[in-house]
Amino acid sequence: MSAASLSRQLPALLNDLALLAMMLVLAAILTAAMTLQYAYGELPCPLCLLQRVAMFGVCFGIMLHFRRGYSVRNTGVSLLFALFLLIVSVRQTLLDIYPRPGHSYIGSTVLGLHMPVWSILIALAILLAFAIKLIVLGGGEHLRDARPLPVFHALAGLLSLYVIALCAINFVSVILQCGLGECHTFGYRLL
Amino acid sequence: MMVAVFATMLLALLAGRYGPGWLAILSLVACFGLSVGLFLFEIYSPDYGFRMPWLQTRLDSNLPGA
Repeated sequence: MSAASLSRQLPALLNDLALLAMMLVLAAILTAAMTLQYAYGELPCPLCLLQRVAMFGVCFGIMLHFRRGYSVRNTGVSLLFALFLLIVSVRQTLLDIYPRPGHSYIGSTVLGLHMPVWSILIALAILLAFAIKLIVLGGGEHLRDARPLPVFHALAGLLSLYVIALCAINFVSVILQCGLGECHTFGYRLL
Repeated sequence: MMVAVFATMLLALLAGRYGPGWLAILSLVACFGLSVGLFLFEIYSPDYGFRMPWLQTRLDSNLPGA
């Protein structure tokens, strides 16, 4: 690859790398949340489940990029769900910040912070990452016409399958926990 | 309702990966709409509570001089 070709493709490479890293981190966070649920019996509350949905939504936008090529619309989808994640987690943190019967943080802390507080930080990190990416790389033709490197494409494919598997497991888990009614944290309704 | 939220999200992810784009977007829009509806239900529900008495949002009429 010549220097001219590399400088032309560098923004697209960096864009792919940033999106892959974001999806990897989100998959890791969802895996950690599910580990807490299945290994330690910490059932997610309804707002916690909505936060997971928001993270899957962010991943959806990234998946579309690797599947169908760069588009500002994909970024818009991810930003929309990141904003939703921020709103839900802020609302839950405000609700639980003052413990009272039936309203307290659910589950154990991770590095001293409960999951809704982590969700706020995660949402802010996603928004910040997209903002920095847009400022540094922009959204011009050089991104629109570029094709991901084969290795990035393969990695994104594997990661997408993993995210889909996580969502499928969550779907089955939600059926068991909530049935067709409201979700509660004191047990699986159908078990 | 939560089951419908996850079902539509799973459908969106599967369609985004394997299916037609219109189905992926349609499922995602449905998922987002259901999620927002469920979120509003959760926070306005009398059980879960929109009320957060530790956040003062009205003037207290019992305060002296109020």
